[in-house]
Amino acid sequence: MAQCGGVRVHQNQFIMSKKPTVQPALHKVIMVGSGGVGKSALTLQFMYDEFVEDYEPTKADSYRKKILLDGEDVQIDILDTAGQEDYAAIRDHYFRSGEGFLCIFSITEDESFQATQEFREQILRVKNDENIPFLLVGNKCDLEDKRKVSFQEASERARQWGVPYVETSAKTREHVDKVFFDLMREIRARKMEENKANNGRGKDRKKKSIKSFLFCYKH
Amino acid sequence: MGEPTLSLLGSSDFNPDKYVRELSLNFVGGLELARLRKKVHSLSEETSNNLKKNVYENYMQFIDTAKEISHLESEMYQLNHLLTEQKSLLNSLYNTSILGDDSLVVIEADFSKDDSEEKKEEIRKQKLLALKEKISGSSHLMDAPNRKVLYESYLTELDSIENTPLKSVYGVLLSDGILIANANFDDQESISLQFEIYYDLGSVAVVNVRDLGNVKQAFKLLAFPDSRIFQCKSSTVKKEWLDKLDQAKKERLSQEQNKKDVTLIDKSPSRSSSIDVPYINPFEEIDEEVSIHPEWFLEIPDELDVCVAQRHFEEALALLDKAKEYTVGYILTQNQDDHIFSDISRKVEQRKSTLIDVLMKELEVNHDKSLQGGLRAARRAVRLLNQLDRSMQSCELFLKLCSSMLKIQCKRVKREGSTSTYVRHLSSVVFTNMCHMTEEFLRAFPDSPSCASAYVVWASHELNLFTSHFIKQAFVPQTSLSTLTECIILVRGQCERLCKYGIDLCYQLDGSLRSPLTKALRDAKDKLIDSIKLRAQEDKWIPMNLKSKSALARLMQEYLDVGLLLNDYVTGDYWLQLTTNTVSFTKLFLKFLDDCLKLQTADLLHIIDETMYFVYDCLKLQTADLLHIIDETMYFVYEAQIKHVEHSLKNEKQLEQRQFMIKNADFLLNHLLNAVQKKYKDVNNFESPGLVKLKTENTAVLKGITATARNITKYSSTEYL
Repeated sequence: MAQCGGVRVHQNQFIMSKKPTVQPALHKVIMVGSGGVGKSALTLQFMYDEFVEDYEPTKADSYRKKILLDGEDVQIDILDTAGQEDYAAIRDHYFRSGEGFLCIFSITEDESFQATQEFREQILRVKNDENIPFLLVGNKCDLEDKRKVSFQEASERARQWGVPYVETSAKTREHVDKVFFDLMREIRARKMEENKANNGRGKDRKKKSIKSFLFCYKH
Repeated sequence: MGEPTLSLLGSSDFNPDKYVRELSLNFVGGLELARLRKKVHSLSEETSNNLKKNVYENYMQFIDTAKEISHLESEMYQLNHLLTEQKSLLNSLYNTSILGDDSLVVIEADFSKDDSEEKKEEIRKQKLLALKEKISGSSHLMDAPNRKVLYESYLTELDSIENTPLKSVYGVLLSDGILIANANFDDQESISLQFEIYYDLGSVAVVNVRDLGNVKQAFKLLAFPDSRIFQCKSSTVKKEWLDKLDQAKKERLSQEQNKKDVTLIDKSPSRSSSIDVPYINPFEEIDEEVSIHPEWFLEIPDELDVCVAQRHFEEALALLDKAKEYTVGYILTQNQDDHIFSDISRKVEQRKSTLIDVLMKELEVNHDKSLQGGLRAARRAVRLLNQLDRSMQSCELFLKLCSSMLKIQCKRVKREGSTSTYVRHLSSVVFTNMCHMTEEFLRAFPDSPSCASAYVVWASHELNLFTSHFIKQAFVPQTSLSTLTECIILVRGQCERLCKYGIDLCYQLDGSLRSPLTKALRDAKDKLIDSIKLRAQEDKWIPMNLKSKSALARLMQEYLDVGLLLNDYVTGDYWLQLTTNTVSFTKLFLKFLDDCLKLQTADLLHIIDETMYFVYDCLKLQTADLLHIIDETMYFVYEAQIKHVEHSLKNEKQLEQRQFMIKNADFLLNHLLNAVQKKYKDVNNFESPGLVKLKTENTAVLKGITATARNITKYSSTEYL
């Protein structure tokens, strides 16, 4: 309810003042991981503070939410992708649009953890960028008794990749906001860097996003 | 706190409880309270009076406002009604789509392995065609074979960052991509669609937009580097889009991965589980199949489509032959046939029938089509159809084409000048064309007995058309026998041209001309007899005076040319011992004989005439029939003249005159008759039996005996047959 109101306010603001700089920064986050690890559950918990018990495989869903990130209005665009194998070939298209990735596995399923390697490689290949904002997320940490992937094992892999590792529970909401916010901070930092680099080189390829970002930054 | 006043009670922060409490504190005793009560009461009355007064004062305003309110209510109601109407209209528009509301059914049908493949193909083409017309600039996309329309609807494109509506577009989901067309609402009624972009299905990713602030029913297309958001009109539309997109993508994926035919794919449009049997199983199986069939065989249906579309019919035919050869070889080596093989075979058959249809269309007689190219233009199609074992159809169409060409050619011949000129032109046109057509036909259909017989039937039919027209034009009472003879000879001569191709239609021509010719001969006979009788009445029986030697010499020469020596009849310088009547009869009869003999000659030419004489008596040949009529006619005409002589002789008592008459009769019965018989014999190899009879019957006249005493056996036609 509060969320809806917030968005409406934003829309009205936007309609009233058509300057693009008023638009809050938009961070595009992509949820990746094998089928059934809880990508959609995490997304829905983050979006609506709800835990959805029913499992229905996702094809590709997008969500957008306006949030306050360190005192700054930003928009998060979450693309919840399909974990199922039959979509593997078209994942590239989704990955291209992402600015940051939450790579999720279930701590109760070793296979899903192994699959993260493949996802990581695919993302790096598509984005062609070693430093792309990326978080390794071990979900379902409430199910400690069914744990198959140890914290050490997972953090070791994250260390190798040079990315943070966080364990979450979509059910208890543990660390749910954290993973999204951490990732957005990374994306933001990344954009600032890029912006500087671009300014330095006098390029304004991403003029719009830079402008909006600058606006946010000044705030 | 004190006395209650209007301002106190009417103030905004007036609190009744507090006021009453304070009153009860300050005013003690019943009397005081009663006074206050009365005071409040009067205040209340005063207020209500004031209110009444106010109402009275603003009565009109009050009424107006009430009216205004009820007015507004009805307007609101109307608005609501209008909006409902609009909504239902839009709904029905959406449901109708541009291709009729059977789109869903068609899609379903496409996946169910129905055997009405051709029909579906037809529908597919129609749908694409409709789209092509509807969306300008999209034609290049619509010709691809196997492309299907899976879904289409109007969409609103949103700004991908700001979520505000950008423009209205028309989206079409094809089996291999997505077409976006800009919709321009240039005026209220018509919407023009302008092709904007085509995304290959493999290069786009679809995102279901679950939450985008207050934007509902949207989905996103990620086509790097574009990212576009489209908003649907309703949640059902969005669901359809997503389902169909998913379906198309999966199909495409399985096609690419497995190189496998579309039709095998699971029928259910919404597959959500990742464990789909057809996806996992086929790999090993498919690898075998792919290795079994060469690539060209798998691509042959598409190749054929391309060839037919580009009108490379020969190539298409070569491909068909190649496919046939392969098919036969494959069936021989492989006892069981796999589905790919049977599927391709079926498709090849389908393409074959398409090719045949296209070729038949080529040959069809079309009034809009110019026949300028003539039959040459038809050669290719005929040859190809023959190679496709469709010679009967091509033959039929070819002959139809010939007929219509012939008709057009005949119409160009104007009815002007004399009958014979017209007949000459017309017959020349008809038979020259028929000759050309025969040439073409023999060239196109050599060694094909069934086609040849069809051709004979056609030629006979065309000849009938021509003769009936010819009879109508030439056999009219105004036409003289000579003209008629000329025309008939012309036509026969033309008709004989066909003989060299092995088609002899002369008998048919004769057959159809026989009855009108007989009638014409009889008419001519009657005319001649009439004129003989007329001249007989005027006959003065005096020798002919030619008045000059040169005139006499000219006459003598003229008759010598036809085989009559008149020297015996010349007396004096320019007297001829024959009557004018005899001389003119001679002239007339010889001309008549000429015509008759010409007819006969023409008639008899195609019969080996040596045998004619011998079979004459026993066979009722058509020509003999005509000969008989000619004979009979000659007999009657000649007899009429002889009768005249005889009649005159009977009435003439003067010896000198009788001598003169006998001399005339002698000329007629000996000289002229001999000359006539000679001519007759030259043509027929025998003398005219009628005239022989005539001579024997009438020899008595030469001796001055009249026929009154004799009983002349009447000429009977049965005698000769």
